[in-house]
Parts: sequence; C-alpha cells; structure tokens
Amino acid sequence: MTTITKGYDEELTVLTVCGVGMGSSLILRMTAEDAFRDLGLKARVTATDTSSARSMPADMIIGQAMHTEELQGVAPAVISVDSFLDREELKHKVLTAMHELGWLQHDTPVS
Amino acid sequence: MQVFEEVLLWVANNIFNEVAILIGLITATGLILLRKPLEDVISGALRATIGIYVLFIGVNVFVGGLVAFQTIVAGAFDLAPPTATASMADFLVDQGSTIALIITVGFFFHALAVRVFRLKYIYLTGHLMFWMSVVVTAALVQGFGDMSQWTLVLLGSAIVATYWTLQPMYMAPLMRKVIGSDQWAYGHTSSSAAWLAGKIGPAFGNKEEHDTEKLHLPKKLSFFKDVNVSTALVIGIIMLLAMAAVAIRGNTELLAEQAAAYSATINPWVWGVVSALRFAAGIAILLFGVRMFLAEIVPAFKGVSERLIPGSAPALDCPTVFPFAPTAVMVGFLSSTIVFLVLMGVFAAAGWFVLVPPMIMLFFPGGAAGVFGNAVAGWRGAAVGGAINGLFLAFGQWAMWGMLSDTAPELATLADPDWYLMVWLILMVAEPFTLQALLGWGALAFILVAGAFYLRDRREVLVIPETETAAAAAELTTRPDEELLPPKIPADSSS
Repeated sequence: MTTITKGYDEELTVLTVCGVGMGSSLILRMTAEDAFRDLGLKARVTATDTSSARSMPADMIIGQAMHTEELQGVAPAVISVDSFLDREELKHKVLTAMHELGWLQHDTPVS
Repeated sequence: MQVFEEVLLWVANNIFNEVAILIGLITATGLILLRKPLEDVISGALRATIGIYVLFIGVNVFVGGLVAFQTIVAGAFDLAPPTATASMADFLVDQGSTIALIITVGFFFHALAVRVFRLKYIYLTGHLMFWMSVVVTAALVQGFGDMSQWTLVLLGSAIVATYWTLQPMYMAPLMRKVIGSDQWAYGHTSSSAAWLAGKIGPAFGNKEEHDTEKLHLPKKLSFFKDVNVSTALVIGIIMLLAMAAVAIRGNTELLAEQAAAYSATINPWVWGVVSALRFAAGIAILLFGVRMFLAEIVPAFKGVSERLIPGSAPALDCPTVFPFAPTAVMVGFLSSTIVFLVLMGVFAAAGWFVLVPPMIMLFFPGGAAGVFGNAVAGWRGAAVGGAINGLFLAFGQWAMWGMLSDTAPELATLADPDWYLMVWLILMVAEPFTLQALLGWGALAFILVAGAFYLRDRREVLVIPETETAAAAAELTTRPDEELLPPKIPADSSS
C-alpha cells in the first residue's frame, strides 16, 4: 500500500489567518510561501480571516495566537506565530508540527 | 487620425473608466514584471478583477443596511437621518479608475521617494492604500470640483505618496518601544490616535507599574475579535433598542414602512434583526472582495519594491503590534467602544447627528492605540489611547459626513483617525475660509510653532529617528547592518 506524503507528493493546503483577513494574513502568506520554498515542500497558501477559515478545508492553519487559539481542531496542524516576517520561526514550527503528525519523510531534519 | 482618436476614446471608455478592468491590467503588468508564468498572470489578473466586482456588490448591500440603521436611530430621537447629495456606491463606480491610477502612480512615487532619499520603510498595507486613495479622491473632488482626470491623478498620487512615506517615519520611535526592533514599521491609518496615545499616555501612568499584560480579562469577551459577530451583535442590539424607542414615541408607521420596503409580510421586529445581519453581511462581502484583489496586488507591489529598493523594511498593518500586548488591545478596544457609545447617545440627544458604531475601527485602531498607550503608561495609557480613538471616530464621523456630502459621505462610517485628518487638510486648502478650515489653520500654526521649539533641541530627529535611551542607541550602532534588514530571499527563488 503506497501512502501519499503531504507536502512532497501532494500539496499542503495552508491557510494564513488574521482578524479581517487582509493586511496581516497576506504578509504572513508571503512569509509562509518563502518558508515552504526554503523547506522544499509543496504548499498552496491562502490568506483569509478567522470566520472564513472555519469553512475552508485545510491541512495547516497559521496565525497569531489570539486567533489560532479559537481555531484549534479546525485543521490537523494549527500553528501560532508572533511575527509575520520571521521565516526561521515559521520553518521551525512547521517542521515540528509535521513531525508530530507523522507527515515528514524519514530523512528530513527537524532543526 | 480619426481611427486613432476613436481607439483612444474606446480605451478611455472601456478600460480606464471600468475600474475592475484597469486593476486587472495593473495586476497583470505587475505579475509580468515579476516574470510569473502565463497561467499565474491570467488567474491573478482575473481574481483581482472579480474582487473589485465583489467589493461593489458588498458596498451596495452595506449602504442599504446603513440607510435603514440611520433612519431608525434618527427616528428614535426624532431627528432627520443624515442626508447627502451623493453616495459612495456611485462614487466608486464613477471615480474608480482615478482611484486605481492613484494607487499605482502613488505607490510608484512613494517607492521613488524612498529610493532617492534613502529612507527605510515602504508602505505595504494594501487595503489602506486602496481606501486612502478613495478618501483623497473624494476630498479632492469635493473641494476642487471638476478637474481633469490627469490633474486629479497626479495631485492625488503626490498626496498619498507623501503620506505613505512620512507616516511610518513619525511612528518609528514609538514602534521601536513596542516591538523592540527596526524589523518592520507601522503602516496603518490609525497612526494619529496611536501617536497621541504614545505621547499623552505618560501623563497618566507608567508602564512598569500598570502593565496591561499583568491584568486578566474575562475570556467571554474574546468573541469581539470576530468582526462579523461583533458587528451583527452591536448593530442588532442598538437597532432593536432604537425601534423600541420609535414605537414608544408612537411612530409605528415608520417601522412598518421600513419593514414593508424589504418584504410585505415580515414582522417589523424581525426586519430589525434582519437589517443588522444584512449590514454585517454587506461588510463581510465588501471585505471578501478587497481581500481578493489585494491577494494579487500586494505581492506584486512587494516584489517590485524588493527589486527597486533592496534592504528596505515594510510598514505593516496594525495587528503586527498586537502580539506584544494582547490585553492592551482589549483594554484599548473596550475604552474606545464605551467612549463612542456615550458620545453616540450625547450626539443623538443633542440632535446633532446619528452616529453609526464602526466595529472594525473601534477594534483595530482602538487596539493599536491601546498597545502604544500601554508601552508608555500601562493600562491607564491603553485606556486613554482607546478613549482618544473613540473621540476621533465620533467627532470625525460627524464632521466627515458633512465634509464629503457631495461625493462619498458613507466613507465617514468606515474611516480611521488619519482619514478624518486627511480630508480636513485637503478641504482646508480647497476652501480656506470655512469655520473648520480656519480651526485647521489655527491648529496647524500651533503645531508648527510647538514643533519648531521641540525640534530646536533635537536636530537628529529630522534625519535619523530619535533613539530614546543610550542602550538602544548603542545596540543599534553596534549591530551590523545585515541584522537590521529583512531576511533575504534565497538566490534560486522564482519570484
């Protein structure tokens, strides 16, 4: 039985969220796209607001803690960040979350 | 020659006059300049264009809900609802292409200024770039009447470019206090309220003793963060209370009439609830449309600016400061809302104006003023900051509705503090002798004189943002420049 690995064979569906879905989530989306590219993962990142995020199926949701705490359970991976520009913080958190969900391929280092 | 003229006319009527198509073309141009693949250019341009149409639909629903709300609340106090000779819905359609051109040309001027003067910050808060362009266009058309489109575009672009260049700079010292670094700047039209909170705050308290992050607020209040929920609730409750007041006054025909305009069979009280929900829905649709076209334009702008001005830092939306003091955000928001609602009651009782509570502007600028107020004076500063924002929003909405009555008055109910100041400034120049203009000239003179005294002792403020403490100054000068720059994109990136 072959398993499809998210981020490698299949694109990750990622939502970046903020309160109104405009300024902050868009910047976060650009940081996230850069982060996924650095990590060599395939991802489709959409910026949106917390209300809409509830009705959009996703593998991963990224946002500030004050928003992600309400979205726990809406997606398998819910990641809180403090900075919208810190690519390293985001890469670390993405890898940690994917490792906990068993999505990482064996040879990917979790830094 | 005749054919050439006809082609130009066709282009003018069908492309430049049709704002959605113009935005689509601008987006396509930006994406092509970034060497994106063809399928990305086409889908990006289409999404941006569709987003504009979604925005227009949202504005129509919103304006309809707004009128119903104002009519009922006015009826509760036996006032006439605010009137105007024009409406934002029409204004956006008529002037849409001017607005689109101002955003683009304005951004180009702004990027040029940052490059030429070797400044640090590039304004990237897309939705506010859109709205500020609308506000400036409305004020210019209101104040100066008919101008050729090119004059309007050039003047409007110069104004917004100046604002986008200066605003992150005057917020820089306070921003450094809040986020502790230079990594990004503050790019939000709440800057006047936030700046005042930062300056006036220290008179009321100090951060160490009164820090908001040492307080605990009830969790139940967290639903206010959801704009759709808080708008529907606040507007709905006020609507029902106002309808009750109208009924008590014996004017039940007004209620029946308004409800019947929507549906012949609906009960008026149910209509009240429906109206509030549709108002919130209009805002949700409007925001969805803005989000759609921004999702395409902002990355294009960012990509272009990264090529033109490597090493610049972005000026970003206000929520970027919220994680540094989340409790301060709630304190600022609550203080803003309470002050606004009190003023709403005062204005209505005095027969001046029917204010509409703008939930988004109470939350975001209120929260931001709270964070900056907290950074200098703890919870007292946060509360004062929120109150300043509430005052701005109440008096500003009242003033701006009248000031833009021939163009787009409903902008007053969507406005942030800086919008009010911008409209006031433009009209001060256009109509220098009205009462509000004279007040403005007086205030400006006072600020210039006070500023001259303040800056006389601190000349370095003009060139490099002021550093408050020796430690911060030492840190900034000893850190290598690379640390202060945003992370570099890897060399093999495709964008």
